[in-house]
Amino acid sequence: MFDVIGAKGMEKVWADFRNCFDSELAEEFLQSLLTLMQIVFVINHDYRRNLDKFNGRYQFRSVDGEVTIGVLFANSRMKVVEGMIDSPHITVTFRDGRTLMNFIISPRQDILGSMLKHDVKTEGNLNYLYKFGFMAKQLQLMIPQPA
Amino acid sequence: MTTITLDDISLKNFTLENLPRLQELRTQYFARRPEICIERARYITQYLRYHDDAKDSPEVRQAKKVSHFLHHKSAQFHDRNLIAGSTTSKALGAPLFPEFFALTLWPELETVSNRAKNPQKLTAEEAKELNLEIFPFWMDKNVLEITRTRFGNPECLQLFENLVFFIASKAGCISHAVPAYTFMLEHGLSGLMELAAEKEKALASPTNKEQQNQADFFRAVQISLQGVMAHAEHLAEEAEQLARVANDPEDAAEFTEMAAICRRVPAGPATTFREALNAIWICQVGIHAENINMAMSPGRLDQILYPYYRSDIAAGRLDLARAIELVGCLWLKIADNVTMVPEASEEMFGGAGTVPAITLGGVDSEGEDAVNDLTYIMLRVTELLAIRDPNVNARYDYEKNSSAYCRRVSEVVLNTKSVPAFFNDKANIAALTGQGETLEHARDYAVIGCVELASSGRDYPASSSIMMNLAAPLEMALFGGKRPITGEEQIGPVTPAPSELKSFEDFWQIFKIQLDWLVKQAIQLNEYMGAVHQEIMPSPLLSSLFIGPMDKGKDLIQGGALYNSSGATHIAFADVVDSLNAIEQTVFIEKKYTFNDLLKHVRADFSGPEGEKVRLYLQNHPPKYGTEAPIARKNARNLVRHLFALYQSHTNYRGGPYRPSYWTMTNHAGLGGITGALPHGRKAGKVFSSGITPVSGAAPELTACLNAVAELGGELVPGGWALNIKYTPEADLKKMSEYFAQTIEAYFRAWGQQVQFNVMTYEMLLDAKKHPQKYPELMVRVSGYSAYFKDLNEMMKDELITRTQYGLTDGHAVPLPPLQ
Repeated sequence: MFDVIGAKGMEKVWADFRNCFDSELAEEFLQSLLTLMQIVFVINHDYRRNLDKFNGRYQFRSVDGEVTIGVLFANSRMKVVEGMIDSPHITVTFRDGRTLMNFIISPRQDILGSMLKHDVKTEGNLNYLYKFGFMAKQLQLMIPQPA
Repeated sequence: MTTITLDDISLKNFTLENLPRLQELRTQYFARRPEICIERARYITQYLRYHDDAKDSPEVRQAKKVSHFLHHKSAQFHDRNLIAGSTTSKALGAPLFPEFFALTLWPELETVSNRAKNPQKLTAEEAKELNLEIFPFWMDKNVLEITRTRFGNPECLQLFENLVFFIASKAGCISHAVPAYTFMLEHGLSGLMELAAEKEKALASPTNKEQQNQADFFRAVQISLQGVMAHAEHLAEEAEQLARVANDPEDAAEFTEMAAICRRVPAGPATTFREALNAIWICQVGIHAENINMAMSPGRLDQILYPYYRSDIAAGRLDLARAIELVGCLWLKIADNVTMVPEASEEMFGGAGTVPAITLGGVDSEGEDAVNDLTYIMLRVTELLAIRDPNVNARYDYEKNSSAYCRRVSEVVLNTKSVPAFFNDKANIAALTGQGETLEHARDYAVIGCVELASSGRDYPASSSIMMNLAAPLEMALFGGKRPITGEEQIGPVTPAPSELKSFEDFWQIFKIQLDWLVKQAIQLNEYMGAVHQEIMPSPLLSSLFIGPMDKGKDLIQGGALYNSSGATHIAFADVVDSLNAIEQTVFIEKKYTFNDLLKHVRADFSGPEGEKVRLYLQNHPPKYGTEAPIARKNARNLVRHLFALYQSHTNYRGGPYRPSYWTMTNHAGLGGITGALPHGRKAGKVFSSGITPVSGAAPELTACLNAVAELGGELVPGGWALNIKYTPEADLKKMSEYFAQTIEAYFRAWGQQVQFNVMTYEMLLDAKKHPQKYPELMVRVSGYSAYFKDLNEMMKDELITRTQYGLTDGHAVPLPPLQ
């Protein structure tokens, strides 16, 4: 996949993800995160180990219905689908991209705080969310710093 | 009844300067930063993955799992402490229990070491092991997820996960226990093993399921005890190795002696004071291999250890300095662990310790003065070390204990500025006899964790089972079963709009409907989780150190203890009482506001000039809990009475009642922070009052405040309470300790159950918030336990700053200075 995307393309993916942390692009957070995650699983052996024997089904939904995405981990692969999926381990319903980002990754992973403030609602097994949060955090820590 | 032989009960000639080992250990303690210990998580995962036999009974599976860990647990000697054994592999360790909430650490495995607030060190290798080997195994296997699967994600579980109604603590622990160590000290773990083996043998041909279960339990006990003894052997081997390589002959001799002690105890009976101390500590280490480190309380150590102390002193084997040094070493060992706290919890609920409680003084089982020389030694150690854990508590019977004892405890509080807490024997013994405990057993009560009461080694109270946010049913009563924070979702029963109500009594009925419904939900979830604990987290090791399980052949989690109960504590008690007062006074008596007007301003968080005017009226005029106002006294009493009757009418999965209590840890800050405005003029997001303490600024007179709280005490509060009082430090310490002791006695005669202090001013705490580096060791009482001020979150710091400060001499509240 890296060959297909190329170095320039990869730079852009990282840049998109990094830019999510700037306010104006937070709405794109989930899309950027999932795109980057799929790529890094392919190109980074250590990161790919997160997929070993991992079966997880995630449903992400925005309150306004604009975003409904399923993320499936199985057979050492990650797949992103639009729409509802069957039997998710966890469903995350979020107010907007920024609240989801705050919930999962930035500035600090504020899972409990977001839930207390009801910015984000979850249904299902939170341990799957914790693993997802770790994988997202790893990506955040890998972000190449701009020259 | 004991005789005091000390010439000076304050032991003031013994200081850290002439106890260099304690000084050194204390300095090291404060210099240490917590490290996450993955050892237990590693070995129990390994056991379950490769060795577990699903055909074994739950008790045997648990025993094998824990024993596997204890056989592999590393033997560590981190410093010159004279007591062998550590709860974790780190000098100051945060153990991980994947059966509970360990996986909450997952998102920050790579950042926890460097996070801004209270970092906990984790090596890259350990993080990798957790991510790839340990955590994946537990995705569907912790208490919470098994409960969800087993009971079909019930409504009560979803309410808990909303986090704003109640906390179901069994998802994170039961722990909270005081073992009975006397039998172990007298007979050793070998003696316990023999007993269990005999009983198992007698059940060799079980004729029914119950007998089979009993046989399994006794087998599990033996497996668990073998694990503890194996670990003691490993400690001995390691100490011998360290003795061999030590350069200093004195160090070598110390390690040799420790090795010898570990070979004798806890396997065999303790014959000296030091052996008894070390035997108890190694058993505590074993208990922490089985149960998470939350309020595993050693109990009445001045009573349990006194025969060994007295015998050694009489034989000339021990002197006072050595006794103080040994007790100090134990205190520092007890402080060797912290809880693993994910960052999100730090933000909302940070600063809580593990709260292993030690209880001193009071009366003995015959009701006579139990204070002895060791009580004063332990008080002196508490005073000298002034560390967060253990949580030291002083029992006081104003008729049986001497006034000199009360003054001495007061002096220690003044010198440490915060510890120990005072417990009233009369009221607390009545509280326990009210629960059906015999007088003799009730007199042998010890404090668990923060303030909870338990007959030592007889009572399994699961005292933190439920933490109920009382503001939730209040808001639900105000808004027809909904809460502002959860929006339009119908949470509780639909109840009439307050504007339709004719009297305060009508509102009180509606409030009770919502409260009862929520309590029922919390109890239902506790029952579900109790069943899951029975399946995956029995405690055969802890059970073997209790009175009851070894007779019944039943684990504690199955109801093996002599007394069984579940505890429910309450957050926002004072805020809710003051809100009830405000509604009764301003809506129904004065008719100053209509209920609709009041609700309009509450919904709007008293915004705008008119809202602020209303808020100030509500804050300053209606009757306040903590004063002599009859309405406030009535509402406080009615709420306590109602909660008592409500909980007592339920029987838990172990066959015991639910016991209400009033302590809040740091939850009053966290839950206050996310709760909307309330009718007593509290704005949204402000912290609630702690424990059973009146709202800050609401109780201007100390005497009235203490009386208002005290009259609630005794049988209606069997779980205990935490009352926080802040005093202005005064220059004349002797005079202050006299007043202090007199105030305690008056409060106890009025039936107050417990009180704890912060002896510090608003200004000092403001300065500590602004300049934490100036106060690295400043210890404060939170709600039932102590914390280092610097570790607390901003909301908790503010709560401590704004707590009412009283002048002890004049009994008046000191005005709060303007806050920036």
